[in-house]
Amino acid sequence: MSWKDAIQVSNVAFTELSLQAVFAFRQGNVLPPGSSKNLVARSRRRVLQSKVVISFVLAFLTLGAAAIIHQKTLNPEILSSVPAGLFQSAVLTGLLSLDIALLWWTGVQVVPTLISSGVLSVLEPLPIDGRTLHRVAGILYLRLFDFPAITVLVLTPIAVGLALGPLAGIAAFPGALVAVVYALALSLLTGRFFLRRVQGSRGGGGRTVVRWAYLVLWLVPAFAMFAFITAAPAFFSALASLSTQGPSLAGALLAAAFPFSFAALPAISAGGTSSVAILSPTIDLVLSAAVVGYLALALWSVIWLAGSVRTLLYLPVRNAVAFPTRPAPLRAMGNARAVLTKDLRIASRTPGYAFLILLPILDAAALGLLTYATPAQNPVTSSLALGAVTTAALLATFFGPAFFAIEVVAYSYGRTLPLSNRSVILGKVSLIAIMYLLGAALILGFTLLRFFAPFTFGAFVLAELPAVVAAAFLELGLLFRWARRKGLAITNLYTGAWFAVLVSVPGLIFAGLPPLVFNLAQPSGLDLGLGLMALVAAAELALATPIAFGRGAS
Amino acid sequence: MATAAAGPGSIPLTLEKVSVSYGERSAVQELSLTVQPGEIYGLLGSNGAGKTSTIKAIVGLVRPVAGEIRVFGQDAIRDSLSVKARIGYVPETSMLYEALTPREFLEFVASVRRMDATTATRRMQSYAEAFRLGSELEEPIATLSNGTRQKVLIIAALLHAPPLLVLDEPLNSLDPRSVRIMKEVLQRYVGSGDHGVLFSTHTMEVAEQLCQRVGILDRGVLRGEGTLATLRGRVAAGDVSLEEIFLRLTEEDVGVRAAVDSLGNSSV
Repeated sequence: MSWKDAIQVSNVAFTELSLQAVFAFRQGNVLPPGSSKNLVARSRRRVLQSKVVISFVLAFLTLGAAAIIHQKTLNPEILSSVPAGLFQSAVLTGLLSLDIALLWWTGVQVVPTLISSGVLSVLEPLPIDGRTLHRVAGILYLRLFDFPAITVLVLTPIAVGLALGPLAGIAAFPGALVAVVYALALSLLTGRFFLRRVQGSRGGGGRTVVRWAYLVLWLVPAFAMFAFITAAPAFFSALASLSTQGPSLAGALLAAAFPFSFAALPAISAGGTSSVAILSPTIDLVLSAAVVGYLALALWSVIWLAGSVRTLLYLPVRNAVAFPTRPAPLRAMGNARAVLTKDLRIASRTPGYAFLILLPILDAAALGLLTYATPAQNPVTSSLALGAVTTAALLATFFGPAFFAIEVVAYSYGRTLPLSNRSVILGKVSLIAIMYLLGAALILGFTLLRFFAPFTFGAFVLAELPAVVAAAFLELGLLFRWARRKGLAITNLYTGAWFAVLVSVPGLIFAGLPPLVFNLAQPSGLDLGLGLMALVAAAELALATPIAFGRGAS
Repeated sequence: MATAAAGPGSIPLTLEKVSVSYGERSAVQELSLTVQPGEIYGLLGSNGAGKTSTIKAIVGLVRPVAGEIRVFGQDAIRDSLSVKARIGYVPETSMLYEALTPREFLEFVASVRRMDATTATRRMQSYAEAFRLGSELEEPIATLSNGTRQKVLIIAALLHAPPLLVLDEPLNSLDPRSVRIMKEVLQRYVGSGDHGVLFSTHTMEVAEQLCQRVGILDRGVLRGEGTLATLRGRVAAGDVSLEEIFLRLTEEDVGVRAAVDSLGNSSV
């Protein structure tokens, strides 16, 4: 069979994948009424929309990076301690890192969906030769990334070309290409790894700990943007210091590091090696060798991807296991706690959900450390701690859509159980409140020695708590009303990002309003600020409760 | 066995002129049937006859566009939570929380059904031993075979010893040993005289062996209902099989012959 046949088969398989991902009927979701033609068109549209969102973010980052480079070219006094070429290389290093992070994160979200959809297993028994099946698997895999990857590959050279000239634009292409290839390879490798070690992990307390430890690693790509933005000032400061030293061992290591070696190419094309300041003839050689090495690794990745994508996209099924093994006893729990426990167990094997749970806690830890590192006598210390709590509260508003998405899994079976929406929402909101308080406790733990007003801190945390609960009530109430009406599934980034984002907006407003009121009222007195904040949060809770539990929600 | 003078509160299941539609498409039309105490009622029909839609309406997954469903006298829509508490359901497709292990899933189901831990554990262990589920109980459901998933669903349905079992093709994917166990379990289950089972299948032999009465659904309409003897009487046939009765009532017997004839020797 030819490539044309492979493309035709992959078109059918991709339609099936989109339909399954959007409507989740393999999990028992009932398809909404309508002709199959319309449902297929709708699922294709939603997958396309999600790809466009990711492409838009990548385009925004690329154009933003080009604009920063252009600004520095126009005004050399910006960060004057860092030479222009080194500055350009640093910005492009950040851009390529973020490209990989975002594509990889997209991949780890959607690869498990592709594997569990079983679309390739359906094709395997058909009289299609192995080569065509390889091609179909490859095309299907590439289609998960098509628009985002094309955005990186096309826009990076154009944007860099506009900022630094056409030659620099051309020199930016290898970096973009290698970034895309690495992201695709990492997605397949980690997607498979997590299916085995995380999603496929057996039950038991010790294994749960191991799973959560793996899931912290999973956060690395998603945390890259946050980490990069946080670390940017320190990075530029280090570069400024490095540039004053001239060629050095640290400079050679930087030149050999990915993706700096590729990021330096456009700067060298635009301003020569001297503009990068840390380079010397020896370091030039290191950089060239690194570029060749990374290109060779990218080529090997392409060969590996082409050869393994077919076999790696099958769901691993366990062989029969020894009998008899007496199962551990069951524990009895109340409805809300049963929902909470189930959600945590599902999240511990589902990286996408775990990510959202872990993010506020890691964020609280990072911001807590930052607060700890700030001198106690510094007047901004208390603001930092309260800002960290506010950030944890804002991030907790993403839990609503995430925990709703967990409920969509096996949605039909859940609906046959004597479990009211009230119990489900209460279980999820309890977990959200616990995560928020855990984040706040972490910040308090880090700052206790330096922050001399633990009661103010505690009052702030407690005053904000009703707002966090209100935001969760609002989001979950809206989502359950919507699910009741549409019966539609939100399962991952490609299937319901729009609605999850839409619902998060009022949630963010609810969580953000009380701290805003506090900041406005605080100059007139701390007690007044805290009092007004608590009042606003309580009013929000009163407003959101009927949305969660009122008519039409349960 | 069927209790003639049972009051509405003791009748496991009553459907009164129930219709189910998906948009423009009608799946079930004015279906009326009753599952009596101590009875296994078999709902027979070809693929797409409306069996699963009927069952989904009973367990609350689909809202009927017309009619009334009562479980032990309670309205399945108005008193949905109380009705769900009295039903054990095995779906046609194994829709489970894939990321949980069977034990974690059963713990969730037992908790939601407000069972005490000792009873839930005892029943889980008994059924697990009967179905030869060992360490699979600690593997994520996503990694299990279809047969094992089906066993997990059956255990989840039986765990709280519900007075009404609603089973949609429950023997699919099971090995012969488990099929035999399941048949015995169902017969003992209704032996108490007050429990009921609604059982959908398109396997005539199973229905013939297990069910006291059967209802034959065809394109959403109940074509015939009763014991095997009653149905034989309806088609005016002697000692014919349930399969033959089914084909005659759904008027597919002629169609089957025509289909086989049209194949001619091409399939050989």
